Amino acid sequence: MVSQEIIKKENKDVDNAILKENRKQTILDKLFHIVFLLCACMAVVAVFAITIFIFSKGLQPFIPGNEEGTYSFIKFITGLEWKPSQNIYGIGYMIIASIYATVGAIVIGVPIGILTAVFIAEIASPRIADIVRPMIELLAGIPSVLYGVFGFAVIVPFVRNYISPFQLGDSLLSVILILSIMILPTIISVSETAIRAVPKSYKEGAYGLGATKMEVIFRTILPAAKSGILAGVVLGIGRAIGETMAVILVAGNPESGIPRTIYDQVRLITNNIVLEQGYAEGLHEEMLFSTGVVLFLFIMIINIILNKIRSKVVEK
Amino acid sequence: MNNRARKDLFAKAVIYLSTFITVGMLIFIIGFIFKEGLSLISLDFLKRDYNSTTQYVTANKSNDNFKEPSNLSENSVFIPQYGIAVREGINEELEEVIVIDYIVKDSPVSKSFNAANNIFSIKKLDQIKKINSQDYNDINFEEAVQIIKNSNEIKLKVTRPGGGILPMIITTLELIALSLVIAIPIGVLASIYLVEYAKPGKLINIIRFATESLAGIPSIVYGLFGMIFFVKQLSVGESLLSGGLTLSILLLPTIIRTTEETLKTVPISYKEGSFGLGANRLQTLWRIILPNAVPGILVAVILSIGRIVGESAALLFTAGTFAKIPLGVKDSGATLTVRAYMEVKEYANVEMASAIGIVLIIIVLVLNVSMRIISRKLSKNNN
Repeated sequence: MVSQEIIKKENKDVDNAILKENRKQTILDKLFHIVFLLCACMAVVAVFAITIFIFSKGLQPFIPGNEEGTYSFIKFITGLEWKPSQNIYGIGYMIIASIYATVGAIVIGVPIGILTAVFIAEIASPRIADIVRPMIELLAGIPSVLYGVFGFAVIVPFVRNYISPFQLGDSLLSVILILSIMILPTIISVSETAIRAVPKSYKEGAYGLGATKMEVIFRTILPAAKSGILAGVVLGIGRAIGETMAVILVAGNPESGIPRTIYDQVRLITNNIVLEQGYAEGLHEEMLFSTGVVLFLFIMIINIILNKIRSKVVEK
Repeated sequence: MNNRARKDLFAKAVIYLSTFITVGMLIFIIGFIFKEGLSLISLDFLKRDYNSTTQYVTANKSNDNFKEPSNLSENSVFIPQYGIAVREGINEELEEVIVIDYIVKDSPVSKSFNAANNIFSIKKLDQIKKINSQDYNDINFEEAVQIIKNSNEIKLKVTRPGGGILPMIITTLELIALSLVIAIPIGVLASIYLVEYAKPGKLINIIRFATESLAGIPSIVYGLFGMIFFVKQLSVGESLLSGGLTLSILLLPTIIRTTEETLKTVPISYKEGSFGLGANRLQTLWRIILPNAVPGILVAVILSIGRIVGESAALLFTAGTFAKIPLGVKDSGATLTVRAYMEVKEYANVEMASAIGIVLIIIVLVLNVSMRIISRKLSKNNN
């Protein structure tokens, strides 16, 4: 009897210990759950913080009663002169320059990029593809500053000496050329993935109907990979608009003037921030944040378009 | 040749031309950077400070004479009392100086003191302009050597030539360490939440949207934010810390996305096995899931390093632009990339920028290759 009781008691102790251990584990699990959640929320916090700080500082000049001075929003957006020393802050000509530069880069870069992707995915033998692909990766990995150095030392003198009728190297053309090279890796890698994702049966069907290789590529594969390629193009636009350091070295960055030809000097939205952030104060500094807000809005629009394209791809 | 064949040929030609342009551009750019910068590249370029420094240092004669090494060049004279070899040379300002050509191990000059009474070890290629307040301009080389030989204690004006990128290398490494220490844990834990804990719903959608938005924000906007928030609002100042914190946010999307991908590839049977053996969720996480995700986390680390090394716009106003070795996380310094930009922007010094560029391209190459090796291993494991 006595021994049985002891055994019972021992069992109870063991049960209690297990219960205790389990409870500890549950608490630990919950604790870690919260830690993981907090970490996951950091991204949300960061996006909020960035948006709030940039917007609150950047929108201040347009709110009446701002202590650093106010400025008309319309004048800011449509202004064709940026002269901080005279309190003139117009970024209209920069917005136009940014759009021109991006469109130009897309016009040159996208066809070259897509066709290179076609080469890697469809034409090159596996061995050659394995040589070209790391090269594209390297092109993607080169810091943008080095593109700027290259542009500054090669493209600008080239444009000045051989192309520009005004003997001016810093120009919209130089910017477009640099950006076209810089968006290539993005467009190539995304397009290549999209081209590879096209079902084999499409190709086989086309070949079966007697199409040549080029007809298969241009009439069947590329149309089928359209959405994926489009996503690559939009990503390329994002990169082009946000690019700063390479462009700044080849743009000329004038204080006014809508570019009328591709040989004109330009100042892009991004350049404006980097050029003057180092010493700007008061209203001038706030206006640079306002420039940041405009850049932010551009990027947001691009992201929304990108999401729309992506969800379309998923639907398919 | 019929019309169709001609069209085909044309299409093919255009495709080859495009590829040629892409590859040609890459080779052209890299070739240019190497051609411009290669003349500067040497071990000294990596080891030297950016600015030259001049100090007055004092060294005591050793009691016993040092043995002369056999591999000295013809022009240099060995001073056994101090264990150094010196030769005539010319500094950056084209003045005549004495150059330290060789230093014996345990030489007293490597334990010399500067004016602030700190140890300042004289190194090879340091330049001497004054000996015991005797200007080298006023005496010739032989006299100078005699003075050094005859003094029990020598006081030297030593100039260490600059022109190197050591400060930038150190800044870059410190910034990499700092950003990774902050961003990797947060990113990895966040992706654990997204893959293992989160249930489909609003919260996860918001987190995903936020991560994607972060990925799309241009680095100059990060730079603006880092400057207004870390540098000014939290008054950390222009420093490694501000730069590192800014970079950590910038790296989050990359780390989360990459880790998430690998966490998803851990076979569900592993988890089921672990649960079946009575392990709870945390134990399964630490013992089963995370070890299997290590290669993926490594990929995230490599991608992050690549991003940090290439970053400039986000660092320009957060971490600083001066070529100096940061004295702590609260001190500022320029990374390699930032400095390459400043060299071109301020001095139009394409040669220096290209030399830094060579170092950067080599780093990128090493990163790309190690990434290939890891992902090859990954795909082998998965099969």
